[in-house]
Amino acid sequence: MDIKREDILHLAELSEFTLDESEVDSLGRDLKDIIKYISQLDELDTSKIEPTYQVFEMENVWREDKILEQDATREELLALTKHEKDNQIKVPKVL
Amino acid sequence: MKYLPTIGIECHVQLRTKTKLFSEVDNDARGKEPNSCVSPVDYALPGMLPRLNGEAVRLAILAGKAMNCGINASSRFDRKHYFYPDSPKGYQITQFYEPIIGEGYVELPSGTKVRIEHAHLEGDAGKLTHFDSYSLVDLNRVDTPLIEIVSMPDIHSAKDAHDYCKELWRLMCFAGVTYGDLYNGNMRFDVNISLAPEDSKKLGTRAEVKNLNSFRSVERAVEYEISRQTKLLNAGEKIIQETRGWNDATGKTTGQRSKEEAKDYRYMPEPDLPPIRLSSEFIENEAKKLPLMPSDYRKLFKGLVSDDILEILLDYPTLMMRLNEIDKKYLKSISNLFASVLLAEEKTAEYLNDLPTAEELNDLASMNEKKELSSTATKEVFLKLFDPQMKNRGTKNIAKELGLIQENDLDALRKIVDIVLEKPETKKAQEDYRAGSEKVLGFLVGQVMKESHGKANPSAVQEILKKKLS
Repeated sequence: MDIKREDILHLAELSEFTLDESEVDSLGRDLKDIIKYISQLDELDTSKIEPTYQVFEMENVWREDKILEQDATREELLALTKHEKDNQIKVPKVL
Repeated sequence: MKYLPTIGIECHVQLRTKTKLFSEVDNDARGKEPNSCVSPVDYALPGMLPRLNGEAVRLAILAGKAMNCGINASSRFDRKHYFYPDSPKGYQITQFYEPIIGEGYVELPSGTKVRIEHAHLEGDAGKLTHFDSYSLVDLNRVDTPLIEIVSMPDIHSAKDAHDYCKELWRLMCFAGVTYGDLYNGNMRFDVNISLAPEDSKKLGTRAEVKNLNSFRSVERAVEYEISRQTKLLNAGEKIIQETRGWNDATGKTTGQRSKEEAKDYRYMPEPDLPPIRLSSEFIENEAKKLPLMPSDYRKLFKGLVSDDILEILLDYPTLMMRLNEIDKKYLKSISNLFASVLLAEEKTAEYLNDLPTAEELNDLASMNEKKELSSTATKEVFLKLFDPQMKNRGTKNIAKELGLIQENDLDALRKIVDIVLEKPETKKAQEDYRAGSEKVLGFLVGQVMKESHGKANPSAVQEILKKKLS
């Protein structure tokens, strides 16, 4: 599978990454190698196999609708953010 | 050229669970400090594991059944990726491939059926407040359980769009899955509108108006879009596929950032949440808890309550339950009383928080039927049944205390009439009546009413006067 420059730039934009010119090419080569490696799986015929979404074979792991005291306080959680104002997380203006 | 509008609506409903969809914190953040209802799971700290709230699954089953939908035996969650400060995870947990609620339909009061494509469970996003040079993030709303209901494009007018949203709101409130507080965003509507020539089989390019939170704004936004798109098409221009914002004050939609490329959310299965598998017994058991729906009441009350009155009362689920308990022969008069109060009084909704009992309402209608209460007095006693000072004393006691019970005892009334006719100031009126002046009868009835302190039944008094003066 061919990875074009536009693909890398598109993925970078979706992921909010800023890339140097040189990184665009090297990332493209890396990604191409990864996809080539994974593509070995294409040799297998999986048309009659159900997709595996998770490997533990659990289902219906539900909890009760009951409020529990949290270990972390608001102050502790807010302390993890870079900027805080009026008990809220302050971010550059987005619209 | 004549164009046919085609409208599809997506509706987000916040579920009334105690805790959030994936964490054990308080889901009711009304009146609470920002970021005070947030767990490390909502905060998306590394290593946190979401755990599904079973109550949200149960409410989703009820919501689905309220819309005549199939419930899927198997459903699961997916990650929808996007970067925005309202979502610390960097993705929304939703059900993209296998939703819990399958196809169904909603029938509008007009009889129009709007098919439901599917509905799914997902977590809400946080709230952003924008300032001049920065934005503030409050994560209280992160992962409040939502069901998103996706309709088929079966709606073709602004009126039907309004009625569909209102009926959905009623269904969700009757089913008890949401608080249904539109002002606080408990239900939000995204409306897709396109126009195509009437004889065309292909749909036109659509515009999406997002985040409408009232039925009226849905109706107005659709009206505006129909006229905007008609003008563009008539001028030979193309409709751009875009998201548009609604401004309630100007009554207009405006284009927001137009997306040149298709959205790319890179959906992938959510590995942290095992799938939901529901046995048919479990689904049936939950579905049994669904109370009567608006369409059931329309059938039950048909011919007993007028359609107009019923549609007013159908906004209030607890009221409908109470009306269903009262004697059918009193349904009409009691419904009319409620409708007149709801139309005339400012208090509406909170008036209905604590309803009179079926017995109190039956007694009231029965006293009115027996003419023990005049229609004015009936309404007065009706209002007192809601009065915290008066309620729970029983209708008869309240009517007695207020001295509103009409005197229907004919012997007693005759005595009062005799007293009045003895009074010198009524002599002239008596003569006039005998001389053929019918209108003085009203004066004499008034005098009797005064003498009885307003308790006499006026029509009975009139009959007695006529006999005595003939």
